[in-house]
Amino acid sequence: MTISIRKTLLTASVSLFALFAAQAVSAQEAVFVLNTSEVGAPTYNPIKANNLNKATTLIFDRMVSQAADLSFHPWLASSWEEAPDGMSWTFHLKPGVTFHNGEPFNAATIGPWLEAFKGSENAYMTEAVASVEVVDDLTVKFVMARPEPNMLYNLSSSFMSVIEPKSYAALGDNYGVTEVYGTGPFKMESFTIGQETVLVRNDDYTWGSPLAKNTGPAHIAKITFREIAEDSTAFLELKTGGVDMLLGVPADLLSEVKKEPNLAVVTLPGQDVYYMPINVTKAPFDDIKVREAVAKAINQEEILASVFGGVGAVADTFLISALPEGHVADSAKIHFDPARSNALLDEAGWVMGADGVRAKDGVALKVSLWTQSDSIFRRLTEVVQAQLKAVGVEAEITTFDSSMIRDQYKTGTQQLAVRSYDWDNADIVDWFFGADRLGYPNISMFNDPKAEELRKAAMTGSKNMAERVANFTAYHEYVLTQFPMAPIYQPVESVAYNADRLVMPAELNAPVVGSTAVMDMEVKE
Amino acid sequence: MYSYLIRRVVMLVPVFLAVSLVIFLILHFIPGDPIDNLLKVGSSPEARAQMEARYGLDQPLPVQYGIWLSKVMQGDLGTAIVARRPVSDLILQALPHSLRLGGFALLFSSVVGVGLGVLAALNRDKWPDKAIMGGVLLGSTMPSFWLGLILMLIFSVWLGWFPVSGARSASALVLPVLTIGLGGTALVARITRIAMIEASGRDFVTLLHAKGLSPLRIQLRHVLRHALIPVVTILALRIGWILGGAVTVEVVFARPGLGTLLIKSLSQHDYPVVQACLLMLAMAVMLGTLLGDILQAAMDPRVRAALA
Repeated sequence: MTISIRKTLLTASVSLFALFAAQAVSAQEAVFVLNTSEVGAPTYNPIKANNLNKATTLIFDRMVSQAADLSFHPWLASSWEEAPDGMSWTFHLKPGVTFHNGEPFNAATIGPWLEAFKGSENAYMTEAVASVEVVDDLTVKFVMARPEPNMLYNLSSSFMSVIEPKSYAALGDNYGVTEVYGTGPFKMESFTIGQETVLVRNDDYTWGSPLAKNTGPAHIAKITFREIAEDSTAFLELKTGGVDMLLGVPADLLSEVKKEPNLAVVTLPGQDVYYMPINVTKAPFDDIKVREAVAKAINQEEILASVFGGVGAVADTFLISALPEGHVADSAKIHFDPARSNALLDEAGWVMGADGVRAKDGVALKVSLWTQSDSIFRRLTEVVQAQLKAVGVEAEITTFDSSMIRDQYKTGTQQLAVRSYDWDNADIVDWFFGADRLGYPNISMFNDPKAEELRKAAMTGSKNMAERVANFTAYHEYVLTQFPMAPIYQPVESVAYNADRLVMPAELNAPVVGSTAVMDMEVKE
Repeated sequence: MYSYLIRRVVMLVPVFLAVSLVIFLILHFIPGDPIDNLLKVGSSPEARAQMEARYGLDQPLPVQYGIWLSKVMQGDLGTAIVARRPVSDLILQALPHSLRLGGFALLFSSVVGVGLGVLAALNRDKWPDKAIMGGVLLGSTMPSFWLGLILMLIFSVWLGWFPVSGARSASALVLPVLTIGLGGTALVARITRIAMIEASGRDFVTLLHAKGLSPLRIQLRHVLRHALIPVVTILALRIGWILGGAVTVEVVFARPGLGTLLIKSLSQHDYPVVQACLLMLAMAVMLGTLLGDILQAAMDPRVRAALA
């Protein structure tokens, strides 16, 4: 069936459109479709970008690579040492590395690269580095203004992709748009914003991350990254053989993909958490008992099964499970416990009425429940509403347009909401519960003196990674016990590909399908 | 005639000002702002204020409008906040794609629309007329994004004749052109038919019949010429609408163009880009209207005489 479709396509394109460029893709060339959230990323300049797409990770290498378990491994830096007081880092660089324009990568690259961050959108990545000392041609020392336990995380982020400083300075705003030079396994051939990026193999590449089996040149010679905003269009392209891989498949298309015999799906732990913020300043949620009661009324297992078809995992903390800071004491984890929920509401004086809604002093337990207009949130929120009803809380759903809901949160009038975030670092706890950002991002309006103390320690008081993990775990754990939110669900990230065309590596030691996967990927000839 | 032209062009100025004000105000009263899209986890409130100042978003609205308008008048559309490059670059990159799509769609709907309209008029109240008008009604009531997906399913997935999406080959243009063109065809066919029927009842047609000309020759040589005047006016008006109507079609077919740019920028609240896109679309409608008036004046001797 598939073959006949492709044959028809081929015959048709040859006979009818001989004059036009052929659509069929030849050997060791592949077409990937970027995730819809990455559509329209305007530049490949990692320093000035807010949004970078997957192709970035093939043009550039990074100092440090990150494995599936989020641990850090060498890449352009072959090893490193951190001073015990956190006030300096020494990096030993891999020899023999060159940029696409022939410039060498060595200790002289690092200073101007970090310098370029100053005053840029991503300045916070390097803020803690006071200066860079060149020790020898392949050794650099970061002299720190303050300890930065997040240094390796930052160095593994695509925003800290290593740029070529000379062309970076010469090209100005055109760097990353018209031309771009990294040390990565692929060179940029062309880039049309919002449309497509064509990458060709860097045949000189021998310095790949050890997380991939292949550290030499990639098997695939040419990759076209297409940007398709409409998921169903992207799916039809995959189905008809117009493209070989979709780097993001929405949950509702997954069953369609699985119906096609030639298509396969790779799932990886996602970086999203779905949760229900609880506004701690709005009655009745100023009472911690009521907060705990609604948090424990959420049946995460039921939601996983009924809303998400069993794909993904339940969330019982605020962080994705891969993060070490998510390993809090079991007592702090938030699980479905209807008996406890009912008991707490009774204790707080909310008495179950004949109509199934609790009341106190003649006031019914009716609250507002906000969400955004995307269909998945509407479905999920209706289930949450039903689960709250089961313990006698009547929640009225208000749906806002996704692009406008932030402004609504800023008013601080919300009570409950259902939303999600996408982040792979524990500092997200600071972002959503820090007292200096009430309204949005701190939708819970959480402002607790003890939490603020722990937050300060976590954000700036850690000298090294181990301390940072300990401090953030303590902060995270304390926040959980105050119930400013209820964790719900952790999705997976799904990538779909044409198994007649692509051979995926059997094992993938990376948090996402990106450069590590592409290095080991092959096109069937 | 020239004074009429000048008058029409001068009249565009207040219309342009009004349109620009409406575009500006609507955008700024939509909740949400572009800075939210730029701020990363960890940004301080100071960083926010700094960024607002950088893009002039801290100024009062009338000042922002004044600055924008005066720059637009000088041909400077500003710099995109999220995409961070001159808006004119983005527009120039997108516009040729939209013009190509719109141009072919207009061509399709004029040729096919006039053809069907004539065919329907010649067979007035007989079955071809009813079939054409029925089909045309169906075509015009289908939402374009849905029609696009249906065409994609039939011609790309089942028959495999055309690529599903993109703009990588000329064959990829066929389905989007059909999607937009079919909607316009309905309108053109209906106007042609009515105009033909109306013109057939005129005295000069009776005279031509009396002179013994063949009915088909009368219809195609004389009646159609008359009937085309309103059709051409409608087609000129469609220019602007076709660019606007391409918005959803471009997104469905993942084509570059003003529509894709507009939708993307709207979701990012990238005001300068959205303003420029809307301004382009509004200008297209205004110029289309102007062109319609001029063509009508040029084609209709009565209007020409009245203006002289």
